[in-house]
Amino acid sequence: MPRYVVERAFPDGLRIPAGDEGAEVCRAVVDRNADEGVTWVHSYVSDDRKRTFCVYDAPTPEAIRKTAASNELPVDRITEVRVLDPYFYMDKRRTE
Amino acid sequence: MARETAETSGVLLERSRELAALRESLDVVRETSQGRLLLIGGEAGVGKTALLRRFCEGHGDLARIVWGACDALFTPRPLGPFVDVAQTLGDELEALIDSAARPYDVAKALMRELGAAAPTILVLEDVQRADEATLDVLRLLALRIEPIPLLILVTYRDDELDRIHPLRVVLGELATSQAVHRLKVEPFSPAAVAMLANARGFDGAELYRKTAGNPFFVTEALAVGETEIPDTIRDAVLARAARLSLGARKLIEALAVVPQASEMWLLEALADDGVERLEECLTSGMLRPEDGRVAFRHELARLSVEESLPPNRKVELHRRALAALVTPVTGSPDLARLAHHAEAAGDARAVLRFAPAAAERSASVGAHREAAAQYARALRFADDLGLEGRADLLVRCAHERFITDQFDAAIDALKEALRLYRELNDERRVGEALSTLAQVLGKTGRLGQAEKATREAIAVLEGRGPGRELARAYSTLSQLGMYAADADRTLTSGRRAIEFAERIGDSQTLIHALNNIGSLAAWSWPETSSELERSLELALQGGFEDDAGRAFSNLAELAVCRRNYRSADGYVRAGLDYCSEHGLDLYSGYLLATRAWSELDQGRWTDAASTAAHVLDMTRDSTLRTLTVLRVLATVRARRGDPGAWEPLDDALALASSAPDELQRVAPVAAARAEAAWLEGRIDDVGTETDAAFELALRRRAPWVIGELACWRWRAGIREELPPQTAEPFSLLIHGDWRRAAELWAQIGCPYEAALALSEADDEEPLRRALGECQRLGAEPVAAKVARRLRERGAQVPRGPRATTRENPANLTTRELEVLALVAQGLRNAEIAERLFLSAKTVDHHVSAILRKLGVHTRGEASAEATRLGFAGQDR
Ligand SMILES: Nc1ncnc2c1ncn2[C@@H]1O[C@H](COP(=O)(O)OP(=O)(O)O)[C@@H](O)[C@H]1O
Ligand SMILES: [Mg+2]
Repeated sequence: MPRYVVERAFPDGLRIPAGDEGAEVCRAVVDRNADEGVTWVHSYVSDDRKRTFCVYDAPTPEAIRKTAASNELPVDRITEVRVLDPYFYMDKRRTE
Repeated sequence: MARETAETSGVLLERSRELAALRESLDVVRETSQGRLLLIGGEAGVGKTALLRRFCEGHGDLARIVWGACDALFTPRPLGPFVDVAQTLGDELEALIDSAARPYDVAKALMRELGAAAPTILVLEDVQRADEATLDVLRLLALRIEPIPLLILVTYRDDELDRIHPLRVVLGELATSQAVHRLKVEPFSPAAVAMLANARGFDGAELYRKTAGNPFFVTEALAVGETEIPDTIRDAVLARAARLSLGARKLIEALAVVPQASEMWLLEALADDGVERLEECLTSGMLRPEDGRVAFRHELARLSVEESLPPNRKVELHRRALAALVTPVTGSPDLARLAHHAEAAGDARAVLRFAPAAAERSASVGAHREAAAQYARALRFADDLGLEGRADLLVRCAHERFITDQFDAAIDALKEALRLYRELNDERRVGEALSTLAQVLGKTGRLGQAEKATREAIAVLEGRGPGRELARAYSTLSQLGMYAADADRTLTSGRRAIEFAERIGDSQTLIHALNNIGSLAAWSWPETSSELERSLELALQGGFEDDAGRAFSNLAELAVCRRNYRSADGYVRAGLDYCSEHGLDLYSGYLLATRAWSELDQGRWTDAASTAAHVLDMTRDSTLRTLTVLRVLATVRARRGDPGAWEPLDDALALASSAPDELQRVAPVAAARAEAAWLEGRIDDVGTETDAAFELALRRRAPWVIGELACWRWRAGIREELPPQTAEPFSLLIHGDWRRAAELWAQIGCPYEAALALSEADDEEPLRRALGECQRLGAEPVAAKVARRLRERGAQVPRGPRATTRENPANLTTRELEVLALVAQGLRNAEIAERLFLSAKTVDHHVSAILRKLGVHTRGEASAEATRLGFAGQDR
């Protein structure tokens, strides 16, 4: 399944409640994603909490947009990505 | 011996989420008196039936419950599950189904019955094996369910849907319907399996590994009660049966050849006095009673037992079933069941007697897929039938396959028929089969082969003078000319076909030829399509179903080509109703593709992508409609700046390159590729992507296509002379009048095109409007371009609104958008209510909500607002 990085902007800052409530919010997102075959792998959040970079496995970009809509999350850009492992290149150079 | 399993002990494990979802749906139905349909998917044995049984047991006091199941015949009988339903609902419905009524009438009667006592839960089980007529009824119910206090619970095995499964067509069409919701039933978790296993001293991890948590298999494995857990379901089921008495085992074996619940008289015919052991089988839990009949608790168990029978015993049992069903104790003989047992008994004569008859009956209620399967069954036993009889079956089979979208199989059958007719020296039939073959080849983009076959047909038939077959051959030639948008070829052959057809009174060929001539107006220069409308009228009058389906599909396509979206959407809707009603999958697929196209043009990109994805799910062949949806999906991605646009564009290009003469393939793909290249800033590629298509479009004098391609070329800096017939909004833009072009596009109902036109402006005001429009549509790349130009002019650029509200600024619901579109067309509430199958009161509510959300006071203001926002043309 393709992997995507989804960039989202939160002009007012992203707030996820701490504790049980936060867990509940995340669980609801994960559940709704499952309907479209979308897996939220993990996210990076900027220090000011105004931007997030979320890594997703999904069948299509449309599936990502659909789940974003049902989770009421903004989507600024979707990029399809592949793993690039720096150590893979470094190891290769050593063995050559 | 009493059985102690999770089910008999009354515990349903890990189903609280599902039960809550079901309960919520029932509450919605009860509180709002509006209908809802829940599609419940999951693998065989995962516990769909158990879930619904439990739910219905618990809520029998809140709703009336009606249950229908699809039987497991290889070729199901038409309307099978509604036979069960009719037993609960009463005589009128039963009589309707007996008289081979059309799905439309059955659905109407059902809605009346089901709406009478509120609320009702209607359960339809295992629709993955439903016949087409049943699927039609289901579809009609789903589309009209809203005003009825009815909860329909539909189960299906989602692991058994292959690409061309007819259920996919239905799922595709219902995808964007508000009344339809989904629920997926998952296997047990390791924890649940461990709990069940530990309670009985089994190794939970081992049991989970072997069953993958499938509840049926878990139950069966535990029921064996031995420490060694069987490796397959079959072994588990057989081990369980082995513990019954000999008599009971014989009875179970006899019942295993009946692919649905068995009537008592049938059971007696199969098992003689073994019936005495029925009690034992029922208490063992392997069988269960069902409305005076008996069935296996689970289809997988029946299959396991049937497979394990020695061949001679199996044949013997099927023979007995056949004999008993020929003279049933009640009712008339059921042809589909007879054909099934005849084949299993290896009785060729009985197959040839019942299968073609079953095929005809299926076809007569619009279950063409079943009809094709019954003809194929007959053909497997037709060795002794003689050349003529076999060829006849082949031609009928090919026809049923063609209209149900099974092209390759249709071509195979036609080629074989052709061989037989040649052997028989039957020129008339050879010519006829060649024309039919050419039509199938033409649909799949093999224009060269198709034309060769047609010319051969004409050569064979010409010597015999004008007749039906010759008229048909000329009409076929005209159809191929129409695919190429070649007006001269279409008109010359088409007029000849019409002349012959009128002379010999062949109305079907007349309808066919009129269609070809009228359809020219989609891609080529003629201004009128009146022949096409006449073709539809005559087809409907004469009851020529596939001609009517074809006319609907071509009228819809013609309307989007000429950018008349109201007309297009109207024909799509009417056509889908008609094609579904008559089992014409072929044209349903085309109509859905046209819908996706229309949604794209009207700026409804989410809908467009989802309609396109569904069509691709159900077929991915070499037809025009596959090309259309590939292009639509790719364009949505490109316009949003999403990844994944080029893969479908390359697939579409492959489908176009194999038919370089077909403007309807070549031009749209070239335009879409040019657009995607332009959006990525590769403007140098625009010329190479469009050169050949543009040249072909000029030769064919195709106004809209010339305009669209010329416009991309112009944006890429190519300056060239435009022919006078270039469609107006494009030529205005190219000649610098972006303002008037934008107005025209807004009137036509294409908000993205309008925004593109505005983006050519130099002033701040129109550029701001373009930006707002692009942000609303989610058109990131163009929004970025426009924002850059605004900044260059020193303007402040606002951030876009949040993505979720983009396509729909006032946050209107889908239903409200629908109502608003009709308000904008000037319809009164009563008319809207009729159109949308709502009560007038509900429409009143919607209209006041719309006025509130748009912040306006009158319907006129609302219409103006709808036009400004670009969804006045929405009309579903
Ligand atoms: N949630 C459950 N808890 C316990 N047993 C279950 C559960 N779901 C299913 N089963 C068992 O699995 C068997 C198969 O379930 P069934 O509902 O017939 O499957 P499906 O209809 O999905 O093919 C049932 O007879 C029942 O014994
Ligand atoms: Mg079941």
